[in-house]
Amino acid sequence: MSTLVTTPRESTGGSGVPGHRRVYGVIAEFETPGAILKAAEQVRLAGYRWWDCCTPFPVHGLDKAMGVKNTILPWLVFGAGATGTTVAFLLQSFTNSFDFTIWAMVWVTGYPFLISGKPLLSLPAFIPVMFELTILLAATSCFGLMFLFNGLPRHSHPLLANDRFRRVTNDRFFVVIETRDPRYRPGHTEEFLRSLGPVAVEAVEEEPCPE
Amino acid sequence: MSHGHSAALEAHLDTANIRLGGAGLKARRLALAAGVVGIGASVLLGGAYGGEHGIFLIKSWLQVFLLVLSASLGALFFVIIQHLTHAGWSVTVRRPAELIASNLTWIWVLFLPFVVMAATGKLGVLFPWADLEHLKAHAPGEYDLVVAKSAFLNQPFFWIRAAVYFLVWALLARFYLKGSLEVGETGNVAVEARLSKWAGPSAILFGLTTSFAAFDWIMSLSPGWFSTMFGVYFFAACATTGFSTIIICCLLLQRSGRLQGLVSAEHYQDLGKLLFGFGIVFWAYIAFSQYMLIWYANIPEETGWYLARQIGNWPYVSLALLFGHFVIPFLGLISKWPKRMPQFLMLGALWMIAFAWVDFFWLVMPTIPHELAEAADYMAIVEAYRDAPTGIFNPINLTMTMGLVGIYAWATLNRLERYPLVCRRDPWLQNAVAFENM
Repeated sequence: MSTLVTTPRESTGGSGVPGHRRVYGVIAEFETPGAILKAAEQVRLAGYRWWDCCTPFPVHGLDKAMGVKNTILPWLVFGAGATGTTVAFLLQSFTNSFDFTIWAMVWVTGYPFLISGKPLLSLPAFIPVMFELTILLAATSCFGLMFLFNGLPRHSHPLLANDRFRRVTNDRFFVVIETRDPRYRPGHTEEFLRSLGPVAVEAVEEEPCPE
Repeated sequence: MSHGHSAALEAHLDTANIRLGGAGLKARRLALAAGVVGIGASVLLGGAYGGEHGIFLIKSWLQVFLLVLSASLGALFFVIIQHLTHAGWSVTVRRPAELIASNLTWIWVLFLPFVVMAATGKLGVLFPWADLEHLKAHAPGEYDLVVAKSAFLNQPFFWIRAAVYFLVWALLARFYLKGSLEVGETGNVAVEARLSKWAGPSAILFGLTTSFAAFDWIMSLSPGWFSTMFGVYFFAACATTGFSTIIICCLLLQRSGRLQGLVSAEHYQDLGKLLFGFGIVFWAYIAFSQYMLIWYANIPEETGWYLARQIGNWPYVSLALLFGHFVIPFLGLISKWPKRMPQFLMLGALWMIAFAWVDFFWLVMPTIPHELAEAADYMAIVEAYRDAPTGIFNPINLTMTMGLVGIYAWATLNRLERYPLVCRRDPWLQNAVAFENM
């Protein structure tokens, strides 16, 4: 079933032979979610580290098959949220409740301000701001760190220049093993991917560097 | 007919897996015994611990009645929003929710003691607006406020409204259970579409009836006081008990060997999210919003209600609520794993029901000091009520909870035994079983 496609400049993986582009990695194309689930499991068991699966839609169980670990993002978001709570409380209690002076870029003195007969240090009045700053820092850090962890923003990617890979947005499922993987061996890795029963295996070149 | 279910799914729809059968018999008898003994003991203790006119006894009945009512209302809310959003994931946990909600068809029985009170002219003991003469003699300041509300707070209208609430709840619960049973038998998509079509109007009816029931049965205990968001507060309380009860029900059914392969950690995670979102965070949001506006505005006729919960020993209960109903469960259930771990989620749901109980205790039990309406000095009242007891260690609390929760559990187990535990022919069943949180 598999039409093997020749891998152009196969032997150049890793080294910069003049006139030849470096190989970014090898892609294997599959037709069904079931096939890529099986393939992903085999790639994980073979010990590859720098690899990924690209699918047109979320495939249930793929994380497990790939052995993807849980992200630490929730903990960082929790930390950011807790920081927001603390900072909001300190800011409000310092500026409204006390009159000592601290150095924060410039010398700043608190200004005890009596509002409608409430105690100077009154938690209920502070809570809306504490709540808002918690949400603000948690939400923005979640948004920002998610992009950072995903390596975004990124303007281009070698895979996007590959014609075969374009069907990933429609009906094909791809396993990508990068050449920087310590287990990557030119030829050997392609052979391994072919053994997983894909419809095609193809090397993907790095993008040309601007002169 | 295959109905498009896979062979693996058909195996899970075996009678032994989706029928409770006799497995709940022992628990059901135990619940009935606890119910009868609990109510009997409460009535007996009422003479000794009920205080003047048995006020503690009747307030305790109201409190626990609200607790079990809120469990069914929360479950009804769950069922309605599943149809409103055409949710596929929840099909396998919806039938237990429908059965819990269907307790609303008989829950009016637990309201009969108040009918008896009204018939014997004693309703004013619980609801001050029902006995204006007494109010005029004892709290003339509050009397003026309450008289102005008598177009709404009068006995005939109160009973008409109560009848409407019970009727609407019974009809809604019945409508969704009957429809679901029909889909379960026939897989008729038209019935499913009808349930969805009426989910919008049902949600509106649900919102109006629960809000007004909260005004009538909790807020009017202190008729001089008002809070426009009180209905939402009660709704949040319903979400707490409702989602907790659904979680406990599903976990216990699975523990008894039912619903195997149908309800998974994925479903528990989502039920846990709903409990966390509505029952813990939304509750705290509403509770604080109500508190802060009144605290900031500092208008005597509004602050009195909170003063009653800050004098004597009440601060301990108020703080227990803050930490037990929000801070501790917030940190405990915020992560993914506690929601997916049956033992931990069970603990969380039981914990939340315990603090929903405290919440209703906190809502129903305190009385605003009647001197307050004319008081010039708040601190004098605080001083006078320095040792005011809360009654949280009154043995009636235990017996009444045992009694009404026992009766409620007995009725729920009856329903679980009578009907299939899952909607067998629901067109979305396959999706619900395969559901995963991404």
